[in-house]
Amino acid sequence: MRRENFRVIQSRIAFILSTLTALFGIFWLVFIIGDILIHGIGALNIDLFIKDPAPAGVEGGGLRNAFVGHLMITLFATLIGVPVGVLGGTFLAEYARGKKIARLISILSDIMVSVPAIVVGTFVYAIIVKPLGHFSGWAGAVALAMIMIPVVLRTTEDMLSLVSWTVREAAFALGAPYYKVIIQVVYRGAATGILTGILLSIARVTGEAAPLLFTAFNNSFFSTNMNEPVASLTVSIFQYAMGPYDIWHTQAWAASLMITLFILIITILGRLIIKWRYKK
Amino acid sequence: MTGQIEIEAKNLNFYYAVNIHALKQVSLSAYKHNVTALIGPSGCGKTTLLRCFNRMHDLYPKNRYEGEIIFQGTNILSNDIDIINLRSRIGMVFQKPTPFPMTIFDNIAYGLRLKGIKNRSELSGKVEKAIKDAALWDEVKDKLNVSAYELSGGQQQRLVIARALAVEPEVLLFDEPTSALDPISTAKIEELIVQLKSKVTIIIVTHNMQQAARISDWTGFMMLGELIEFDKTDKIFTAPSEKLTEDYITGRFG
Repeated sequence: MRRENFRVIQSRIAFILSTLTALFGIFWLVFIIGDILIHGIGALNIDLFIKDPAPAGVEGGGLRNAFVGHLMITLFATLIGVPVGVLGGTFLAEYARGKKIARLISILSDIMVSVPAIVVGTFVYAIIVKPLGHFSGWAGAVALAMIMIPVVLRTTEDMLSLVSWTVREAAFALGAPYYKVIIQVVYRGAATGILTGILLSIARVTGEAAPLLFTAFNNSFFSTNMNEPVASLTVSIFQYAMGPYDIWHTQAWAASLMITLFILIITILGRLIIKWRYKK
Repeated sequence: MTGQIEIEAKNLNFYYAVNIHALKQVSLSAYKHNVTALIGPSGCGKTTLLRCFNRMHDLYPKNRYEGEIIFQGTNILSNDIDIINLRSRIGMVFQKPTPFPMTIFDNIAYGLRLKGIKNRSELSGKVEKAIKDAALWDEVKDKLNVSAYELSGGQQQRLVIARALAVEPEVLLFDEPTSALDPISTAKIEELIVQLKSKVTIIIVTHNMQQAARISDWTGFMMLGELIEFDKTDKIFTAPSEKLTEDYITGRFG
């Protein structure tokens, strides 16, 4: 009897503690998102999207340069990161399946996933920015791509491994060469999973400021030249939030809201794809 | 009933990766337009033998064959054999249904497209014929553009058989094709196999002795990598010459 009482008490304590910690976490999450919404929605206006920054202290202006720059850097990062990640994952799951090298690369990319973004930024600074002597949009795209690669690579590897081996054998038994088995059968089976991984990796890098600070830097003017410093929303937020002008703060809030919305949309899209996949 | 030999293993030995001697001096002939069944306890090497006939073992490193398998006059274990061509002539159906993640039509057309057939009407004709041959036409004729995953397990297995038939193979290898199916689907597949005899030579691995007795013309009994006895199915199940065979089919072990 006493022992049972003790168990009930233990269970209650565990329940209360876990509920409290969950509430604590959710509180800050709601607080941050709510704060962004409150400050951000009021700060949205059309100028933000169609005008470039006004001179310091002058009212008005927008962040057109940062919106376009951010999209360009993310786009090129995706164009670099996705093929490398998908092909690398294919190598691990198919050609190097079961080999030691595959295990090793998998573990290394798991570590890479959790390397602080600023480390990647300084690394790209050392290998691209320093030798070339200037910041550039390309360096920013490469830095973001390096953050994307391990995420895409591991998702691809996992998704390909989920396609059962007998399905591959069935394709071989019809006389298909390996590359056709991979492209026509295995990729089809894993397509939605890989696509979800790609979307989530885009969501992951869109919110990064640190790696861009060392690579794409920033640009107060509108520029689509990837060889020059390119403005981005995240770095602009960093700069504007630190700045002394109220209009800068307002614009930083608006930019934060836009990035959050973008990430939200991509994440929801990823979730929908997963759901759609498992319904089939 | 004895006729022309379609495919024949001669003193076949097979080793998995690190010298696991899985087949020992196996000699067996499969006659044209006959069903040959391979039976025996788990791990006896019957699936291993089956997978030698289309060189499936080549997918994994360090596997090694010794001896010969003669298919229409050529030794298919020799190094200069075009394995891709071989596999389109010797098809295989697996234990679990293996539909590809695509539509029913594309599943059946897969092997045909590999062979380079692109003409739409030729493809449709051959796909329809294969599905009819696999006794699946009435069930799928209105949904050829639906994902193959929407079919039931038994239908998927007949789809896979249709896919293998589409490329008009000379031999079909079945690796326990009904062990994952319910009795009704099993009966349909068995009926189908008997019908297919007129078109292809069939070798089937089965765990189910009644199945072997029902559908096969010839039966090979294997144990520990050796072919203990090979004879007409009637003979194996009524008057086996080996004591081991008799013990196995009467259920004394296995």
